[in-house]
Amino acid sequence: MMKRNRKREPLRFGTVTKSLVVCVCVAANGLGYVWQKNAIYRLGDEIKRRESALSSAQKRNTMLAAQLAHLESPAELEAKCQQYNLSLVSPKENQVVRLYEPGQEWDQQMANAPLPAQAPAKQLAQLHAAQPKTLAKQ
Amino acid sequence: MILAPQKGRALIVVGALASVFTALSFRLFDLHVLQHKDLSALAQANREQVVHRQGRRGAILDANGNLLANSLSVRIVTADATITAPQASDIAEKLAPLLKMDAESIAQKLSSQSRYVRLNPRVKLDEDTVQKIRAMKLKGIFFEDQFVRSYPNGPLGSHVIGFVDAEHKGVQGIEASMEDYLEGQAGYEVIERDRKGREIRTSCEENTGPRDGFNVVLTVDQVVQHIAEQELEKAMVEFKPQAGVIIVSRPKTGEILAMSSRPTFDPTSLDASSADARRNRCISDVAEPGSTFKIVVCSGALNEGLVTLNDQFDCENGAFMYAGRILHDAHPFGVLRVEEILFHSSNIGAAKVGLRMGPARLSEYIHRYGFGHKTDIALPGEVSGIAHPLARWNNLSITRIPMGHEIAVTPLQMLMALNTIANNGVRMKPMIVKSVMDQDGTPVFQYQPQPVGQVITPRTSALMTTALRKVVSPEGTAPKAALEGFDVAGKTGTAQKVENGQYVRKYYSSFIGYFPASDPEISILVSLDDPVGGAYYGGSVAGPVFRAVAEKVAEYLGMEPQTPLKEMAKLS
Repeated sequence: MMKRNRKREPLRFGTVTKSLVVCVCVAANGLGYVWQKNAIYRLGDEIKRRESALSSAQKRNTMLAAQLAHLESPAELEAKCQQYNLSLVSPKENQVVRLYEPGQEWDQQMANAPLPAQAPAKQLAQLHAAQPKTLAKQ
Repeated sequence: MILAPQKGRALIVVGALASVFTALSFRLFDLHVLQHKDLSALAQANREQVVHRQGRRGAILDANGNLLANSLSVRIVTADATITAPQASDIAEKLAPLLKMDAESIAQKLSSQSRYVRLNPRVKLDEDTVQKIRAMKLKGIFFEDQFVRSYPNGPLGSHVIGFVDAEHKGVQGIEASMEDYLEGQAGYEVIERDRKGREIRTSCEENTGPRDGFNVVLTVDQVVQHIAEQELEKAMVEFKPQAGVIIVSRPKTGEILAMSSRPTFDPTSLDASSADARRNRCISDVAEPGSTFKIVVCSGALNEGLVTLNDQFDCENGAFMYAGRILHDAHPFGVLRVEEILFHSSNIGAAKVGLRMGPARLSEYIHRYGFGHKTDIALPGEVSGIAHPLARWNNLSITRIPMGHEIAVTPLQMLMALNTIANNGVRMKPMIVKSVMDQDGTPVFQYQPQPVGQVITPRTSALMTTALRKVVSPEGTAPKAALEGFDVAGKTGTAQKVENGQYVRKYYSSFIGYFPASDPEISILVSLDDPVGGAYYGGSVAGPVFRAVAEKVAEYLGMEPQTPLKEMAKLS
């Protein structure tokens, strides 16, 4: 049997297509790999930048918290009051209105109590004595 | 057809190429197989870098969440002096105005030939300054992150808060006692760098991030602390004592709201203070308590049913001979009831109550009140005081200890004893730490008030309160400690100081008290060491200071005065 001369045979479409597909796949994989690696690096870079920004913000926050604490310290507030001559004084006891947190006992007493204008002083005193201890200062 | 000379040349070329490729192959085999282990380690070391990161130290907060201490991250400038040495003076002149240092000292550091020099270990650099230095692109100049401890309130509560050393470790106060919680844990990160030294993000499997320390929340209230410090400072100016302390607490829980000690120090400028000023006298100094100790003997005798408030004792007109020694009273008294012994503060009366009690029972009550033992407050440097065991008592001890001699206590121990009386006879452990929280504010530990034991019955406690209320009455020893609107129960103390084993004419003037007496919310101790200027009695020196502190604290805490409300009710 005579050997077939391959050089003279026409190119088969299927073979060419298969080769091309393989080449394209290999190239696509290669490019995909490179693109992905690049994306990972870019993402890493971005994360790093954001982490750095977060760290800076946290540091700044801590610094500002310390500054705020200093400005809010009683000594500093008193100094500012004196500096700006604000003449702030504590209210006297008769200038303070106390609001009592309502409770069951207190509500009941209030419901049974006569109107404040008609209430005798003794009853008012008793009511005050029976009030709950939790206070809110105004 | 290939000719012979061509064949020869071809063979030479092929041979040469084969040799080159063989050599290359051998070299590759050598590099990749034979030397693989060493070279791969070398390559990894060139590419990878382990970066150690320090965890931030936790903050110390007051009871209302106000910041008392925290750690700030600052940049310090470092240099490789082997690089900077040739241009040391040029670089120094550029850096000096930014680092606020003199150029000469910088130049000296830059030419020291050391690979690592810190240029500004104590100067905090802001971000703008860092950017300015970066823009100069100075070779051999680097930046390093470092933490510095910040105390925004300066000296306020410095004895409680304490301070840290150069290594950022707690040395005193809460900084030292809560070191395990405050201290951050260091972490490390393995990073890869590219040819230009830029960091490449890779898998973080090997990374162990740093953990920031926990925040410690105190029971101390910074406003109450400020009030205590302010009033103590005024007393220091007015009476010029050698030292002074004020403690404010809640008797029902044992919470310490303020603890102030003079002389004091500023933790932000430690070099300017002496070791003596840094001592927390509230827990580390002991002294004879004097008459304040009469509360122990009287409450013990009442509790044992040995006396009643109305039992009478002959106070011998101010001079009582016992075991060959004469015991004196500050003022001569005749027959006094137990109640009067307390509010007139008769030494002879207290001695006679002690005699009726007997040494064994008195000694037992001394220990039940916690004297001679540490209170176990969460502060370092606490001492246990001196309360001799019964075996070491002499004949005179039974008459001297009831008036506060032959025993040494810390101010905190004395206040906790008074708190026991104020708290229906239940002794509480002093509480200075309220909770430990993580950086997100989630509680890690929540401390609860801890009762130590029932020392006296609630009935005895009520009887003692009745007697102690009269101490601030016009006939008592401390009318200047009386508060408008509140019933105060308290006791004065004027203890002679001992120097070189001898009593001298120097005194500890003190006052301990609580209010409202019917339902105690606040207790305060004021003690001044050797006040000068004539007055030295506890009632006249420490009493007014107690009153000033109590008035302001009551106002700040919104405590409702008892008397004015009744008056208002009558008016309406």
